[in-house]
Amino acid sequence: MHKKLIAVAVALGIGVWGFAAEAATPKRVKVSGEIIDTWCYLTEIMFAEGSAHHKCAIWCAVGGVPVSIKGKDGKIYMVLRVEGDDTSVANPKIVSIQSHEVTVDGDLYVRDGVNYLLVNKVADDKGVINLTHKKHGVVPF
Amino acid sequence: MKKSFIISAVATIALSSAAWAADGWGIKNEKITRTEAKVVDIACEVTGNCVANCGSGKRQLGLLFDNGKLVPVVKNNDPFAGATVDLISFCNKRIVADGLMISHPKMPIFQLQFKRAAPKGKPKGKWSGANWFGKEWEKANGKPGGEWFQHDKRVKAAIAKEGVLGVPGLKPPAQ
Repeated sequence: MHKKLIAVAVALGIGVWGFAAEAATPKRVKVSGEIIDTWCYLTEIMFAEGSAHHKCAIWCAVGGVPVSIKGKDGKIYMVLRVEGDDTSVANPKIVSIQSHEVTVDGDLYVRDGVNYLLVNKVADDKGVINLTHKKHGVVPF
Repeated sequence: MKKSFIISAVATIALSSAAWAADGWGIKNEKITRTEAKVVDIACEVTGNCVANCGSGKRQLGLLFDNGKLVPVVKNNDPFAGATVDLISFCNKRIVADGLMISHPKMPIFQLQFKRAAPKGKPKGKWSGANWFGKEWEKANGKPGGEWFQHDKRVKAAIAKEGVLGVPGLKPPAQ
């Protein structure tokens, strides 16, 4: 069966992997989690969650570092749009909800190991509820 | 102490990189990488929603490799800054990117330290450091007499609204 699929793809002039990449279509999703600074969180160069890291997360968001949602499902969703605004570098809306616990409706594209999320609506915003400063202080300073 | 250490570390890395070769940052899963790729608007590449000049600095940019793989460039060599300012003049053009490829299990990212144009069939451009965010910030705001992030109006407004901890009225513990 697998060989037949490859043969058909080759006959149609379609690279199997190329087809997979080009056929990407969005999936409508609801994501709940914390808005995070992508760089500090993934590199683990410092503790980068909740109130302890809020100020640094603001610096990075204003500085143009991509903002993501750390989903309750454990996945990281890199935000490319918020509520009709296609800008994703120092976007004022994103800056205003940095470190917040949110639930969003959006369109998800998965490519090369990255979850790219276009947020259509911030359906719920609980603010900063992950009070990590009690354990970690203010990180990095 | 922590603050001066981090600022010194960033400055040291920037200064010691005068040879146009990336330094490691000791990050888990990092690999010092010099590679050729095309600079692309990620939203355009992934969704097909394209705008002029890759969004003119307002959209996140990535490296599109010849094998079709796309990797977001999330950081430059300035403290707390992304790489869009460094890359926007190379929109839809090939560059040599020098920096760190970080293969985190949850998503790959690239940290840019140096870059130069790499047009096909033509001589490569001159190296430049990936520190243009700070330069452009100073052009727009003047020399702050300190770090940009301590003086930025947008940062100040956000902190004034919700506080250092992100919770209005909640004060940080003494450190």
